[in-house]
Amino acid sequence: MISRRTAAPPTGPALERARPRAADRRQAPRGRRPAAGRVLWHLAAIGVTALFLLPLLWMVVASLQPAGMPPARTLTAFPYGVAWANYAEIFRVIPLARQLGNSLLVSSMGAGVTLLTASWAGFAMAQMPPAIRRRLVALALFLLLVPASAVWLPRYIFFAELHLIDTYVALVAPAVMGSKSLFVLMYYWTFRRVSGELFESAWLDGAGAWSSWRRIALPLAAPTTLAVAVLAFSHYWSDFVDPLLFLKSASRFTVTVGLRMLQQMDQTHWPLLLAAITVAIAPVIALYLFLQSVLRGDADIVRRSLRILDRDSEER
Amino acid sequence: MNAFRFSWPGRVPASRSPLARYRRQLWLLLAPFLAGALLLIGLPALLTFGLAFTRYDALTPPVWSGWANFAAILQREVFWIAARNTLVFAGAAALLQVLGALGLALLLHPARRGVHLYRGGVYLTTILPDVAYALIWLWLFNPLYGPVNLVLGGIGLPQPAWLIDPATALPSLIAMAAFRVGEGMLLLIAARQALPAAYYQAAMLDGAGRWAIFRHITWPLLVPWLLLLFVRDIVVAAHSTFTAVYIMTGGGPGYATTLLPYLVFEEAFSHLRIGQAAAMLTLLFAAIALFVWFVYRRLGAWGYADDL
Amino acid sequence: MLRIASCLAVCVVLFGACIAPAAPPAAEPERVLLSLLISGDPTDDAAYQALADAFTAANPDVRVELLNIPSAGDFRRRLAADFAAGTPPDLFLINYRRYGPFVAGGAIEPVGPYLARSERIDAVEFYPQALDAFTWQDTLMCLPQNVSSPVVYYNKRLFDAAALAYPADDWTWDDFVATARALTADLDGDGVVDQYGLGIEPSIVRAAPFLWMNGGDVVDDPERPTKLALDSPAARDALAWFTGLQTEQHVVPDAVAEAAESSVSRFLRGGLGMFVDSRRATPEFRQIDSFDWDVAPLPAGKARASILHADAWCMAATGAHKDAAWRFVEFANTRAGQELLARSGRTVPSRIDVAESPAFLDPQAQPANSQVFLAAIPAMRSLPKLATWLDVESAIDAELEQAFYGQITLDEAIQAATERSAEFFP
Repeated sequence: MISRRTAAPPTGPALERARPRAADRRQAPRGRRPAAGRVLWHLAAIGVTALFLLPLLWMVVASLQPAGMPPARTLTAFPYGVAWANYAEIFRVIPLARQLGNSLLVSSMGAGVTLLTASWAGFAMAQMPPAIRRRLVALALFLLLVPASAVWLPRYIFFAELHLIDTYVALVAPAVMGSKSLFVLMYYWTFRRVSGELFESAWLDGAGAWSSWRRIALPLAAPTTLAVAVLAFSHYWSDFVDPLLFLKSASRFTVTVGLRMLQQMDQTHWPLLLAAITVAIAPVIALYLFLQSVLRGDADIVRRSLRILDRDSEER
Repeated sequence: MNAFRFSWPGRVPASRSPLARYRRQLWLLLAPFLAGALLLIGLPALLTFGLAFTRYDALTPPVWSGWANFAAILQREVFWIAARNTLVFAGAAALLQVLGALGLALLLHPARRGVHLYRGGVYLTTILPDVAYALIWLWLFNPLYGPVNLVLGGIGLPQPAWLIDPATALPSLIAMAAFRVGEGMLLLIAARQALPAAYYQAAMLDGAGRWAIFRHITWPLLVPWLLLLFVRDIVVAAHSTFTAVYIMTGGGPGYATTLLPYLVFEEAFSHLRIGQAAAMLTLLFAAIALFVWFVYRRLGAWGYADDL
Repeated sequence: MLRIASCLAVCVVLFGACIAPAAPPAAEPERVLLSLLISGDPTDDAAYQALADAFTAANPDVRVELLNIPSAGDFRRRLAADFAAGTPPDLFLINYRRYGPFVAGGAIEPVGPYLARSERIDAVEFYPQALDAFTWQDTLMCLPQNVSSPVVYYNKRLFDAAALAYPADDWTWDDFVATARALTADLDGDGVVDQYGLGIEPSIVRAAPFLWMNGGDVVDDPERPTKLALDSPAARDALAWFTGLQTEQHVVPDAVAEAAESSVSRFLRGGLGMFVDSRRATPEFRQIDSFDWDVAPLPAGKARASILHADAWCMAATGAHKDAAWRFVEFANTRAGQELLARSGRTVPSRIDVAESPAFLDPQAQPANSQVFLAAIPAMRSLPKLATWLDVESAIDAELEQAFYGQITLDEAIQAATERSAEFFP
């Protein structure tokens, strides 16, 4: 959909040049290596990756064990055959479909609002005078330091006063501030990279902050938007403590609370629980793979932020 | 340099000048973030800080009690156990995460065919929901039927009881946290790729070995990033352990995995000692802030990160 | 492209905003919505829902919203958070060991005066042991629904296979251990025990009756406790016997085996001979179809003793619908109301007439020998009434569990429990 090429607006040739992708590739040490070294490297990389992926693979295998059998004591993949029925069963045991729908609603709302507020905040911050800017960045970093547990109870009381307990508003309220100040910073870093002249000339042409944000800033930040969207979506999808505290009606539970419910029902019925986990994490993984294929899986965004850090420190 | 530095000729009053209008619009765009930060984090955190000086059981209005909560928790053995556990957990997990991220970054930084498949595979564990991740590891660590012990048994190694044994329970949680290094790896890959290739070419012309290159070029140039990552990981580890403990161990066996966020949650919501819980949080926050401030000063002295 | 995306985002937000606040459907003005918080197994839902439906049928002006939180810990936290936020449930069902903080905080509306005024139910219809547990400084705070106690659930098929006689009503600790040993077996001969004789939770609630049977006690003075008394010889011996079930007799799954597969799961799939639990386990066990099971009393020590497990209906002091809430409590504790729950298997009814009726004793419904629960009532005792009792209990359990699984010695556990619980006594 949003490919990197089409996302670059017509105004951004300078930007395209500033994008350090090709140059970076060349910077990587490229000594002549014998083929054996390359094979060895691939073997090492495959080994390491397998270490990270095996648990997930095992999870899927174990989720297909037939229910009611004594747990297997061997590593044989399917000692009792494959029970696809588990995946139908979990939708019967807990209202998983409903919970997935709830999570989808909450996560889309959260991610949608986050995109607006985080990009507004990042855009505005990037154009503030240096002194204010520095304070705002400090504030954003400071917010990351506040323990989540410090706000549980006051927020509960706050939401109860506003009659927001047991509504999704309580869950997505943090989206008003960009969910996590990290998302604001991601936009801030992106917009700081954009030449100030661009906004300056737009302003001289009579554009207000709003239209400048919409017409110039947002198109430039498409990759960041994509990354923030995926991260924010996963953030709300993964949220456990907030729904645990703020939701009461079982019909509104999200999928993470559903997993906890299932765990409590029968602590040791692993195949069903693992099947439910597989279903619950599938959307996050799919989104992530989508993001990866769009951004080509490299560390583009992080690298760009680093570039800004470097440049800023050089500036002084 | 990116900010508007140009000044507007003083023909119109400053407050009504187009520039001032533009500035106001910028503040308007910033308003949701600031308001949210104030209402959802600032005020609640302040309220928690205030409650630390009260006796409060959620049922009757809070009563001012001065430093009594702090005196009480400092005398509680369980608080010290939890503080020690948190320190051990955060320190060890952050160290392993940084070293793991460094190793992965050094292995996976070259731009080769298939490299983003590998990076993607490693990163995947980092984006899983905490609840799912904790439940998966609860099953992996199952002492009899879990894959970890089945593999260990298969190759004739001893099979620890992991979360069941007080001696291995906390190390198990640390090991589990050590696999979530995706973000650190991406950061270090980017940092590594930003190192000037000329240094490496020169070193190779001088005939320097891999170790010498790492020791004298890569390591010194990456150290500030490693420190930054270490600080971040410590902060995250100190804050975000609640779900894992809640789902996997409930703080046990005994108090072996009672970490501060879990203890705070239990104190506040199970035992209704909200004042004491708030006091614990205040101490935790103070410790983290102090630590971050200290490192920030050190990093600042190196000229890094003073304006992110 | 981006325009579409932002349109989509706005749509999602607006759409979400319409759905999310999802205010309770506009009820007719005179209709009262009563919130009811319980903590039971998912199998209990149906019974309580039936009770709520029956109530609404008789009281069309009140609708009951039932929320079941299976984990006792999660339940308590939800209750605390709700009280803190000033939005407590109108009614909640809670165990007497856990209601101390709420009573001490003045959060509970005493039901005593309501009961005294009631024309439908009377205090004399209830077991005094249950009423006593919920009496705080001479006022009845909540109305108990049940008067349960721990019993030994046993798998008849495994008893038959081992050619063991079913437990007698007067069996002793030694009979109990011998039976458990006979039921513990390594069936496939791989050196790993795969059938255990006994499952019992390593907690003070389970151990307390054995302390009492041996002449010991948990605290120094049950009426005005000032410290733990687990180090008295009688109490220590009983605890040594209790933890010895695992550490010496090995008839209970060890820590690893229990973590790998819980005793409940083992019993459900027929791999555990006996399991100690209260009436609470019955609804779930009724779903077993692969073997027959029954219940037996706890084995007797020097004296007979048992421990009360009772939950009661409590009304929030700040509830907006106290009158409707009381009507529900009254309804649930009429003969008809209690019979509804009793038939589901969930409760040992706190009403004497229902407990002695076929609704509870019906020999066609498992367990056949429900009389065991009633026989335990005369020798039944309660744990101390203390606002901080739950703290004391968790301090003991943290240590007792480790001693039970041989991770620390019993004396270390007793000492640590005594020290760490000291701050919670007045």
